[in-house]
Amino acid sequence: MRPQCLWSCAHGLVAKTSLSSPPWPEVPKLPDPVEEAKYHAEVVQKVNGMISAGEYGRLFAVVHFASKQWKVTSEDLIMMDNVLEAECGDRIRLEKVLLVGADDFTLIGRPLLGKDLVRVEATVIEKTESWPKIHMRFWKRHNYQRKKIIRNPQTVLRINTIEIYPCLS
Amino acid sequence: MVVLSAARWIRSRLTDRFWRKQEVLKYARHFRGRKNRCYKLAVRSVRRAFVKSTKARAEKKKFLRALWITRIGAASLEHGLKYPVFISNLVKSQVELNRKVLADLAIYEPKTFKSLAALAQRRRQEGFLAALGDGKEPEGIFSRIVRHHY
Repeated sequence: MRPQCLWSCAHGLVAKTSLSSPPWPEVPKLPDPVEEAKYHAEVVQKVNGMISAGEYGRLFAVVHFASKQWKVTSEDLIMMDNVLEAECGDRIRLEKVLLVGADDFTLIGRPLLGKDLVRVEATVIEKTESWPKIHMRFWKRHNYQRKKIIRNPQTVLRINTIEIYPCLS
Repeated sequence: MVVLSAARWIRSRLTDRFWRKQEVLKYARHFRGRKNRCYKLAVRSVRRAFVKSTKARAEKKKFLRALWITRIGAASLEHGLKYPVFISNLVKSQVELNRKVLADLAIYEPKTFKSLAALAQRRRQEGFLAALGDGKEPEGIFSRIVRHHY
């Protein structure tokens, strides 16, 4: 007595019932790896050519900085809720870049892009404190209230440039 | 005439009662009704307002995350994927973008989001193929339908 599975025999011979096909959806076949590698190499070469020829407009980047991720373009302002150990007017390079995109192509990092591929520069503009936030706790009928005024230090950065170099492989 | 003891008929009077009340009333000026004018009512309302704003700061984070998740789910449905599928496959492909940035990309960079959805879809199919393996039954296992041969 050999156990047999209905769907390992020919599909055309079995009527369509709840058990005639597997419960998972049909997976289409992946393209041939050799052809895919050729296609990938072509695409990489084309994008490299576009980058070296400079055929892109405004670039945007997703940068991981101050434990947050920011979607950033050139000339835009970023405000973080902490102190940066740099003076006002210092030029800073943001190194952890997760994604860079232009109009026609995007470079997605897994998880980060190489430092020789992207360069994001920023300047420290302002180091201030936040507006006085009020932290109040109150328990009713217990004569308990505490009021505290919190001022967080803030830093404002201006993203100067995002540059990419044709180092794809 | 030298007086060695302090005069005993001087009272100490509160002189800045007005400004102490103004410190509270200034936070109540945009309220509705008498609580924007009368100190006794204003004190209670202002206290409740401060406590609510304190608690709201923690809830804002939850609320925004839920909003981002809804937006990412809607955008991935436009490309034929559901939110859990999209996120799980992106994480398996080692793309560590957070929900805030994914929601921003979905709104402002549709082409980039489409490429991320395609990446997730491709990783999903590769995962299925890896799970299915050869398509053969493992040996010595009964499948769900057993045909009896007599």
